[in-house]
Amino acid sequence: MIEAQNLSRRYGDFTAVDGISFSVNEGEILGMLGPNGAGKTTTIRMITGFLPPTSGTVTVAGKDLFESPREARRQVGYLPENVALYSEMRVDEYLAYRARLEGLSRLDLRQAIPLSLERCMLTDVRHQIIGTLSKGYRQRVGLATAILHNPRVLVLDEPTVGLDPKQIISIRELIRQLGREHTLLLSTHILPEVELLCDRVVIIDKGRIIAEGTPQSLRESWTGNPGVRVTLKGAPADAAATLARVPGVVAVKPAGDGSWVLECARGADSREDVFRAAVERGWVLLELGRERGATLEDIFVRLTTHDAAHDAVGAAEAGETPQEVVS
Amino acid sequence: MNGVLATFRRELRAYFFSPLAYVVLCFFLLVSGIIFIFLVGQLNDPRSAGGPPLGFFFRTTWLLLLLIVPVLTMRLISEELRSGSIEVLMTAPVTEGQVIGGKFLAALVFYLFLWLPTIVYALSINLYEKVDWGPVASGYLGILLIGALFVSIGVFASAMTRSQLLAAMITVALLLLLFLLSLFGELTTSDLAKKTLEHLNIWNHIDEFASGIVDTRRLVFYLSGTLFFLFLASRALEDKKWR
Repeated sequence: MIEAQNLSRRYGDFTAVDGISFSVNEGEILGMLGPNGAGKTTTIRMITGFLPPTSGTVTVAGKDLFESPREARRQVGYLPENVALYSEMRVDEYLAYRARLEGLSRLDLRQAIPLSLERCMLTDVRHQIIGTLSKGYRQRVGLATAILHNPRVLVLDEPTVGLDPKQIISIRELIRQLGREHTLLLSTHILPEVELLCDRVVIIDKGRIIAEGTPQSLRESWTGNPGVRVTLKGAPADAAATLARVPGVVAVKPAGDGSWVLECARGADSREDVFRAAVERGWVLLELGRERGATLEDIFVRLTTHDAAHDAVGAAEAGETPQEVVS
Repeated sequence: MNGVLATFRRELRAYFFSPLAYVVLCFFLLVSGIIFIFLVGQLNDPRSAGGPPLGFFFRTTWLLLLLIVPVLTMRLISEELRSGSIEVLMTAPVTEGQVIGGKFLAALVFYLFLWLPTIVYALSINLYEKVDWGPVASGYLGILLIGALFVSIGVFASAMTRSQLLAAMITVALLLLLFLLSLFGELTTSDLAKKTLEHLNIWNHIDEFASGIVDTRRLVFYLSGTLFFLFLASRALEDKKWR
């Protein structure tokens, strides 16, 4: 539905987006995830035709955004990051204005406006002046204008930013409903949002795509080997060496306070062998359990954290010297 | 066409909803009313020079445009740039030119609305002495043409910056420059410069219009000038994308 090919955007010497290619398939909800400043908004602005890319192409529903901008834009409903509305207008007046701007006929307009109002649960406030609405309602007005012309694609840039928890829940519910009828591209830096809403995720950092896949496949490919956590009373001196000899154990990492994290071979569950080893030596097992697999959050942090300080700390924790990491 | 019409309707509404527009309207009516009082005094003075009764009125009142037009146009695009509503506007299936055109027309119509009550002055003179409507009509034509050029300059300035204040100041500066060219034309001793600047002399133009002369050269000057600045405005708006 949306094809972005090699999109780049430079502001002077600064490259905000650096050769991004991805596609949004018909009917899916694609999440675009990335820390602040990763280039999400710039990418989205290029897809909606607000910013021309320095290089690359975008097609929406088969229409090239730069060769036939009007046809392509007609297929897109856009909710920008900062929803700027004309605060002196009433909700229904504003929708009527937007509908005319989209080129809806008088007849279509009369059907489209009540429908949008209803879908965004705005019917009760349709005569209110926009300036008097809460931020949650304004966000809904923004969504209502995005779906007015019944576009095939909806592009939402951080739709829940700045809302209170209750509003966030209701906007998410609304997005999920809209996702049933429209193809959706959703940008966010909030991870649970992606896990809750999206069929597929693209992770962007520093203007590049660094990972792509379903939330599940991302989690699986980044989880690594299964782990087992062991805590022994009194922290016996030869514990690390003994644990390393347990069948299936690949590596032993001390976790402090007499705890160790054992990295096991893929598919192996070494808990039983650890238990037997402890009994054999007469150690008291205080804790024995599976380590929690990586969440999308861990993956995200791992992928997007790259400042020197963090790398140095990570290296020290792993018992390596920073020099080794550099080389 | 949809884009022009939709923007036009929304901008015109916005004028009637904003307090600023009413302040401008009151100011304009007050000053033009005072000018009218002088005019009546002048008409009653047997020593005054003859001529069309409203000539003096047009000749002086147009000066108000230097103050009024910047205030009317400063908001038009600057506000969209500042608030960010330009983003949803320019991702709708409309072109920069259509948006500029719609906003320009809205400002021009509101500008004409300012002048609407001044027809009462002509009508009230008509009660006492028969007014020759020809020069009155051409006077209003001049007001329309000069207004269109000024408003297009204001729209251009507004498309250049997100600050309304700056937009107003750029407009004032450009209008003053245009206005001063008239004076330079009278001061210069070079024949060529004098002849060239004569064509830019708004003082003379309004004099002509007010006395019933409609010169096609003036029509061409004002219409092409207006289109030129509207073109610049849409380029300025387009240019915002590339930064």
